[in-house]
Amino acid sequence: MSAVRELRRTRPRSAFLRASAWAAGLLATASWLFGGFFQGEVWSARRAANLERFLGELRPYPLQDAPWSWRAAGEWAAAQWHDHLAHATLATLAISVAAIVLAGLGGAALAPWAARSFARPDPLLPSPRPVPRVRRAVWLALNGAARGLLAVLRSIPEYVWAFLLLGLYGPTVWPLVLALALHNAGILGKLGADTAENLERPALEALRAAGAGRAQIGLAAVLPLAAGRFLLYLFYRWETCVREATVLGMLALVSLGSWIQDARARNLYDEMLLAMLCGAALVIAGDLVSAGVREWVRRST
Amino acid sequence: MAAPEAAWTVRGRGPARGGPRGARGPVLLLLALAGLWAAWVLRLDPRALWPDAQAWGLAGEFFGRAFTPALSHQASSLPPDTPSILTIALRAAVTTVVFAAAAMPPSILLGLLLGFGASTAWWTGDRESGGRRRFAWRRVLGPVVSAACRFVGAALRSVHELLWAVLFLAAFGVTPLAAVVALALPYGGTLAKVFAEMIDEAPRDAAGALAEAGAGPWQVFWWGRLPRALPDMIAYALYRFECALRSAAVLGFFGFPTLGYHLAASFENLYYGEVWSYLWTLLLLVVTVDWWSGAVRRRLAV
Repeated sequence: MSAVRELRRTRPRSAFLRASAWAAGLLATASWLFGGFFQGEVWSARRAANLERFLGELRPYPLQDAPWSWRAAGEWAAAQWHDHLAHATLATLAISVAAIVLAGLGGAALAPWAARSFARPDPLLPSPRPVPRVRRAVWLALNGAARGLLAVLRSIPEYVWAFLLLGLYGPTVWPLVLALALHNAGILGKLGADTAENLERPALEALRAAGAGRAQIGLAAVLPLAAGRFLLYLFYRWETCVREATVLGMLALVSLGSWIQDARARNLYDEMLLAMLCGAALVIAGDLVSAGVREWVRRST
Repeated sequence: MAAPEAAWTVRGRGPARGGPRGARGPVLLLLALAGLWAAWVLRLDPRALWPDAQAWGLAGEFFGRAFTPALSHQASSLPPDTPSILTIALRAAVTTVVFAAAAMPPSILLGLLLGFGASTAWWTGDRESGGRRRFAWRRVLGPVVSAACRFVGAALRSVHELLWAVLFLAAFGVTPLAAVVALALPYGGTLAKVFAEMIDEAPRDAAGALAEAGAGPWQVFWWGRLPRALPDMIAYALYRFECALRSAAVLGFFGFPTLGYHLAASFENLYYGEVWSYLWTLLLLVVTVDWWSGAVRRRLAV
């Protein structure tokens, strides 16, 4: 027992982690205590009546004030599906696909400039000759600019990007695709740069020592070694793109989101719920496809 | 250059093969085809990407204010007791953090419950306990509970937090509690999925040693499997907090008093300087939490 106690006493401890744990706990507790979540009437007769009305309106329209019938509900849902939901679901999927392809291209293009091991005057190995100060500064600035750009791209939420871009382009489909592509290019670029930095060094250093340049190492070694990992990340992000593509439609006239917003504005909560369920089904299908592809990629790399 | 066999590995799963073999080539080709299909479905016209002169003017005006965010109101006439832009931004930032921080404990709790249930480690532990069949009931109950937890988690996260918010808005009106629950439900589902994967993929060394020493399946799970997965789980929960910040900010577009609320209002009034004040506030928040979670992650990965 004393040996166990000794082990416990000498375990590695970090003051930063300890402070972080306290900070996280305090932040959550203070938020619940002082966030004003229970101010005013959390539950009132008016709220209860509102909720009851809402739940009643979730029933398919032909079945409101009528006994439940699966047949009638199915017919109503099929009519909605053929009328507009099928097309909207397809458009939602297409937005997510177009966005992730663009995000992948953008992320792959930016990642090398953000990787600290490559975007420097002496990649991988220290240069045998002293590097001129100007060249060092230029590379440092390039690297910093790439990292800063990626941080800005990914820190602004997709929804805000879409909102801003819709102001520029008007209500077309490009703002939605671009919003998803920009945010995810920021994330994929960061992850791609991390992957490139964390590759096993000896092979790359050997290439460098043999005289290979930055572009040669990048194309011949980094790209093939990092591509599998990058594809895994890409499909992870595609899953969130499918989720977001539904929501972004609430801002414009494409994807399921626009029908959700339309039904919401007209207080047709049954139609709103059905459109949401189509989105949920698409998300689940997308997750399954993505999991399958990721497993395939993982096995072969 | 002829690399020695198995000189390096990409993911610790066998030697990296040279050349474009394996799944990467076909997957890239599929992606390209899917992209073309999407462009065709959406009638995407690359020429429309180049905005017209009027849009260029607007873009210039908007991005021109990027480095000169408004420090005072751009509106000319305001009621005398209107708080300054910085006060509004600070208050909205605090609300954003409060919403995100309040949503995390319930979603972590939900994620732990569903994640433990969904993981296979607690009911397939017989491999570690030397094939003893004392707890045979786990083999019957395990798959059922696991599948049920997976289903509930998938259902929760298949609906976006903003759509949960729309549902709760319609049901309860604009209350802060609705915003927090709307964040907590899908985040709980996401955390459940990732926690389950992390528990199942955690190194089994400690679990094996405990089982060798005669520990029961529950002991193996709580003291062998779980502690090995914990650092990854903490790091991921912190990353989700960063996501929750962004989501909480966007909830403002639906009437909650977070950063998105003021951002949308200023943008619609064409007060681009104010928009940038709120955008920079959001950026600062997200980058701070990003730095914090990165620092924690580095120290957890011993």
